[in-house]
This record gives sequence, C-alpha cells and structure tokens, in this order.
Amino acid sequence: METKKLAQGAAPRKLSDYLTRARDKAPAHAGHGAGGAQSVRNDHYRGHEIEIVTTYKILVDGKKVRAPLGVDASGQVHCHSLPNYQTASAVDMVRALIDGFPEEFERKPAPSKSRPPASHKRRPAPARKSKPAAKKGSKHEH
Amino acid sequence: MAVVRSNISTNAGVRDQYIEGVKLLKKEASGRTTDEFGIPGAARSVSTYDLFVIWHVTAMMIETPPGNPAQRNAAHRGPIFAPWHRVMLMVFEQNLQRVLNDANFGLPYWDWAEDGDLPPQEQSSAAIWGANCMGGEGNPVASGPFAFHANDPSAFRVRISTNISGELRSVNRGLRRAFGVSTDALPRTAHVTNALALSPYDSPDWDADANTFRNRIEGWMNDDGVSATSMHNLVHVWIGGEMLLGSSPNDPVFFLNHCNIDRLWESWMSRNGRVYVPDMTAGADLKGHRIDDPIGSPLGRSATPRETLDVSAIYEYDALI
Repeated sequence: METKKLAQGAAPRKLSDYLTRARDKAPAHAGHGAGGAQSVRNDHYRGHEIEIVTTYKILVDGKKVRAPLGVDASGQVHCHSLPNYQTASAVDMVRALIDGFPEEFERKPAPSKSRPPASHKRRPAPARKSKPAAKKGSKHEH
Repeated sequence: MAVVRSNISTNAGVRDQYIEGVKLLKKEASGRTTDEFGIPGAARSVSTYDLFVIWHVTAMMIETPPGNPAQRNAAHRGPIFAPWHRVMLMVFEQNLQRVLNDANFGLPYWDWAEDGDLPPQEQSSAAIWGANCMGGEGNPVASGPFAFHANDPSAFRVRISTNISGELRSVNRGLRRAFGVSTDALPRTAHVTNALALSPYDSPDWDADANTFRNRIEGWMNDDGVSATSMHNLVHVWIGGEMLLGSSPNDPVFFLNHCNIDRLWESWMSRNGRVYVPDMTAGADLKGHRIDDPIGSPLGRSATPRETLDVSAIYEYDALI
C-alpha cells in the first residue's frame, strides 16, 4: 500500500464522503429494522434439496422485540445488533440483548397515587454468565 | 519511514499520546451532521472520531452478498475480517498522527492474552484499566480519561450508537463497560499460540464454521473446533457495554483490541508468507472477500486485500509472536 494514497484517503472529508455514499448501498437490513429477520438454510442430502426457513417472534414483557436474529448452517444463533455473539439458544441471545440494550427494555413505572413501601424496591438483577455454546450439530433451542 | 506500533501497557509515552489523540479526534468536527448519515432526530455535528463508529456500523450493514446464509458482511464473518480492519486502523492512525502533529506516532496494541493468563478475578485489575490508561468499568465509566461527568460538556460522551435493530441513532451519555459479566475470562496465550499454528488463512465454506486462522482469531470457533465465542469476539464480550454493539468503536479500547488482532495476523504472515484466500476464481457469493475486491473504505477501489498484505512501508510492530 502506498503511503501517499493512504494519507490522502484518511482525510476526514474523504471518510465522510465515502460513508454518505456507502449508506445508500446498505439496504440489506431494511427488513430487520421492520421487525425480525429470516434465515434460509439450504442443503442437499441423498438427492433431496433441503430448505429451512427460520423466523423469530420474540416477546419480552409482552412487547415485540425487533432484533434481527438469524441462525447459521450449524444452528448457532447470531444477531446483527450484537455482532460478536453467537449462542446455542435464542433465549441466550435475547438475554444478551437485554444486557446490551438496557434502555430498550426499561419498564415504565406504573402510575400510582401513593409511593410504594420501601420494602417493595427491586433488588438489582444478579450478573448473568452466558451458557457455554453447544457443540456443532448438537441440539439447540430456538 | 514506517512507524512502530507498541504495547500500550509498557509504553507510557505512546499510551498518553493515544489518549490525547482520541480526545482530540472526539472534539474535532468532521463538518458533517447526523442527518447526512440517515440518523433520526435533530441534526447534530459529527466528530471525526464518530466517523469511525459510523464506518464500522455501515460495514456491518452491507451483507456480502445480500442475504448470504453465513451472514458475511463487508468487514466480518468472512476472509475480509483482517484486511478491512487493517485499513480501518491505518486510517485511524493517520488521523491520530495529524491531530497529534506527530508523523512518528504508531497506534498501540493491547496484548490481552497477557491479562488473560491472570486468574479471572484479577483481569479487571490489569494495568490497562488503570486511571492513567483506559479507566475502569461502569455505566457510565467513572474513572480514567474517558470517565463521564454529566455536567462537564468536555467529558467523553457517546453520541452515536445503535438500536436493537442495529440501526444508527443519536445518544448523549457516558461510555459503558461491564467486565466479565457475559463471559468469565479473556483469551489466553495458549489460544493465541494455537491459532498461529493453523496454516490456512481461511477455507471453504468461508464462514463461522471454518477451522482456520481467520475464523479462530475473529472468534467464532475455539481450540477444539467447536463453535464458541473466543479471541477477538471474546475480548468484545468480556469488556461488555459499548463493546457488545456494532458501534463498539465508541470505546477507545476497540482500536487496541484490533491492533493486537492485526499483530497476530502479521505474526501469522511472518510464518506462512504474505498469502490470502480466496483468489478471484472464487464465485460471486464471495464478492467483497476476494483478494482483488475493493475494501469498503475511503481509499478507493484500488485498496484491496492484496494491497494490505505488505504494509512494511507504513508500520511495523515492536514485537511479533
């Protein structure tokens, strides 16, 4: 790589120009934002064509969660909004989403005329350790 | 002349320059506003530092190709992982050199495996989390140079993040970290050694199931060939908070983690030669990951994985593995 080309391309204006152009090329996740993704897995086995379409409907506290979960060929669950995670279980991924986006799961305080007694205060949730990922090909939950 | 990249835990001068440089880039207006990047809400000025946050999120949004079952994108989950981040780091380093007015500044790395060799309960006390380095954990981070002070407009603030759908949004809050909440410990030296022993850079199916150097360092598979969060991914997950999200460059530690990953790639190439796969005979389903495909960057179409294999004129590491 040429040093001169790097220096020119690294200017903030060049980077921001590139980003405004690149934004127009990133429509792939439009469906995700609208509320859920679809994973399509294909395989061939003994002359048969296998197609597995997976969609997730996730509710937390009764509210629909618009997270783009997908599942890869080996059954590992992945979520675009938590790009460094993979889990053997969609439940684990939703737990990770609650950790990663706490403000999106905040409970609105119920309207009340009087203050609740001090003893009704919620204790902080214990720290969660993720479960180990399952071995490839092993059973997993969705 | 090539600059030298060194260990942030052992080079106090570079450490202090890095912190200063990050703060300067965070304060520098890029000349663009959030609405120009499609970020909802009132238009706000975007700093040069935050352009790197937008760049990372944008790359993740570009699936290569759209709808591919491996969920490869323009920077992750495929062979392009190492070259794309190498370009990002070089562009970041150039900007640090500019604001520091020091053409000899080299981006530091965090050798997280050294800290990973400590007992898990001691890892959050490692030197990198000291008040004179990256500071500690918290929501918001309350110590170190990137601590949040609500009444101080000059304090380090996260201004662009992502929502649960992975889309960019405006925020105004402090940095978040939660060490060891989602996983117990950092990767260890043994993990690094085992990854470097793998000879193929990558191989079919070029996905998160490939038992290859790229996939191992990216962190989709552990030493037993089992799908698991490891190496680069594990560092993100162990730090938690901001580092969990697509907008993870919000945490200045992001660049230190990736600089170490880049050092591992350079170490691998010193053993195996400056080779990269797939070549251009690979099908269109690998477009964006082949050796002469353009990397999504401001450097133009001529910046390809092939162009990133030899950067000896630009930088070198003080120590390879």
